[in-house]
Amino acid sequence: MVEGKIKVLLSKLGLDVHNRGIITVARELRDAGMEVICIGNSLPEEIIETAIQEDVDVIGVSSLGGAHLTLGSELVEEAKREGLKDRIVFVIGGVFSPTDAVKLQAVGFDGVFTPGATSEKIVSSIREFVSGKVAR
Amino acid sequence: MAEKKKTTKEILETKLADRKCVPLYNSEALKKLCREFNQWRNTVVREQDRGNWYVTPHTIIGSEIPREMLYTPLNNPDLDYAQDLGNSGQEPFTRGIHANMYRGREFTMRQLTGFGGPEDTNQRMKFMLAHGATGINILFDLPTIQMYDSDDPISRGQVGMSGVAVDSVDDMDLLFKDIPLDKVTVSLVAHYPSNTAILFPMYLALAERRGIPWDRLQGSVQNDITLEEVVRSGPEYIPPEDCFRIQCDNIEFIRQNVPLWNFITLNGYNLREFGASGVTEMAVAVANGIESIEEMLRREYDVDWIAERLAFFWSPASDFFEEVARIRAVRRLWYKIMKHKFNARKPRSLWMRCHVQTSGISLMRQEPLNNIIRAAYHALSAVFGGAQSLHVDSYDEAYSVPTEEAALLSLRTQQIIQAETGVTEVVDPLGGSFYVEALTNDIEARILDEVDEIERMGGYVAVIKRGWLHRKIADHFYREQSMIERGDIKLVGHNIYKAPGEVPPTEVFQYPEGVEERQKARLARLRERRDNEKANSAFTALKEACQRKKNVVPYTLDCARAGCSEGEIFKVFKQAYGLWRPPALW
Repeated sequence: MVEGKIKVLLSKLGLDVHNRGIITVARELRDAGMEVICIGNSLPEEIIETAIQEDVDVIGVSSLGGAHLTLGSELVEEAKREGLKDRIVFVIGGVFSPTDAVKLQAVGFDGVFTPGATSEKIVSSIREFVSGKVAR
Repeated sequence: MAEKKKTTKEILETKLADRKCVPLYNSEALKKLCREFNQWRNTVVREQDRGNWYVTPHTIIGSEIPREMLYTPLNNPDLDYAQDLGNSGQEPFTRGIHANMYRGREFTMRQLTGFGGPEDTNQRMKFMLAHGATGINILFDLPTIQMYDSDDPISRGQVGMSGVAVDSVDDMDLLFKDIPLDKVTVSLVAHYPSNTAILFPMYLALAERRGIPWDRLQGSVQNDITLEEVVRSGPEYIPPEDCFRIQCDNIEFIRQNVPLWNFITLNGYNLREFGASGVTEMAVAVANGIESIEEMLRREYDVDWIAERLAFFWSPASDFFEEVARIRAVRRLWYKIMKHKFNARKPRSLWMRCHVQTSGISLMRQEPLNNIIRAAYHALSAVFGGAQSLHVDSYDEAYSVPTEEAALLSLRTQQIIQAETGVTEVVDPLGGSFYVEALTNDIEARILDEVDEIERMGGYVAVIKRGWLHRKIADHFYREQSMIERGDIKLVGHNIYKAPGEVPPTEVFQYPEGVEERQKARLARLRERRDNEKANSAFTALKEACQRKKNVVPYTLDCARAGCSEGEIFKVFKQAYGLWRPPALW
């Protein structure tokens, strides 16, 4: 297990306007005892930069506007370039088709959450992913 | 010392205090009814039902208003037909703004359309019009909504997504290719005051290009500060007071120059979908309406000149009777405000006209076909409430932008209500229901109380600046999420009657390819072709207008004419006003 609190960086991916999901998740993770940093709308390189500065365990991005594959893939690629992919857990939430949800997993997201994902599911998945990464 | 400004509620209480009531029920009949009712309650009604007399429906974005088991005239003993209801088309317009309502004019079937480049959306619009849609509702893509050009680095990967990409008047031209601007009514869902001030002038410049006088253009813009400063998540915000001024600049310019155009759609919808009860939804839109009218009065315009073109936008969700009652309630409240607070005289100024869109947040990803049924009930409640125009959400929206098939089904839902159910033949069919009238009264009082709360805190712009509204909403949806997870809010296929596994729609919308490249190429051509000197002087003039707090629209119009792009114009706003940091929501 990780020592201390799990540290999570949350961001809206690109220019997506829909805020409800990410704020709900931010509160849920905080209430589950995690340390949450929420940076609003950002591009992949900005997200990675903040993740490095803040030394986070998890990056969670939210996208309901259709850019999940384009910007989502960029995010993971950027993380690989910085050598973070094996260290940090990547999760994404939003509106995706079933095919896209599979693609997002193939791209490298550890967790893909679609509308209706429960707080319990999100929290327990993140804990699981984090201990998985640490174990490796 | 200056006298403290009275709130709207205080004004209405004073003005309506000594009005004479002519009750419909005579007191003797009521007394008898009361005796018999109590006897019935104590003898016929089972003890457990007596104990659970009040039940509160828990629904997504519902108002949590307790309901009795049975409603009778005793719930509304002072009912005065003429004063509280009136006939349709008569004050206080509870029963509808027109005497003949849908017999005279069918509700406009206005489906939202927008994806890809302007050429793609143009095709979808023509498809919807060919299948009987009677209005057009344009939704813009994320970069356009957030006011960045398609070639801005921040826009990459998002051009043409969840709406149509429009960068300049040239795109507007392609978007409306072969569509006669003087024949259709067009709603440009430019959510914010800022992008309304940028995009609507492009539409006007296009009309000029086609030789169509502005006084023949019909339609609406959204132009609402709530969307720009509260509901939205975005990288950059201008300060609320500047945003509100631009909202009023749009009102002023459009009223003066495009007389048939609805210059503001006071938006409850997006706020409620974000996370607010049906009461808060309406209170916020009404408070914004009041503040906008007050600002226009300060600019020395006549109240009737402004009020007759105001429109509202609501979100009918799942609590059926609450939705019917809400629309009726706010129609009566708005009438009272216009009549007694603002002393409006023209009948049209007293009307609460509204567009509705069925609630998207109430739709579920599991078993998406169920959403067809949900949306149909939402739409029906809006028709019972007397809405002017409708958009029905598509069943596959928890997956992506609707497919053509799903969009057509939404239109068909409206057409079936219109042509097959017969509900439009009788005006306000639920009027007079003991239940609906009691609920209408209750909701009207609750909306006014929330308007009062906002006014006591200094008004609408003040509660935005303070973050009060932001926090209220975040608290609402966080609580709601836990109610869903606990099963207090019951959702078929989601947390009750769950089917094993996910049953996705058979076909999911695929975005057209190559949109970003096309948009970038068009912008490059535009910047090369246009007279850059002219463009630059248009920017300089706009910046000066912003700084001097002059109406900005004549200047954004010159920018549009000079071939300036949306992102370039927004940049001027940001330089002139500076950026605002909205409150954190969690």
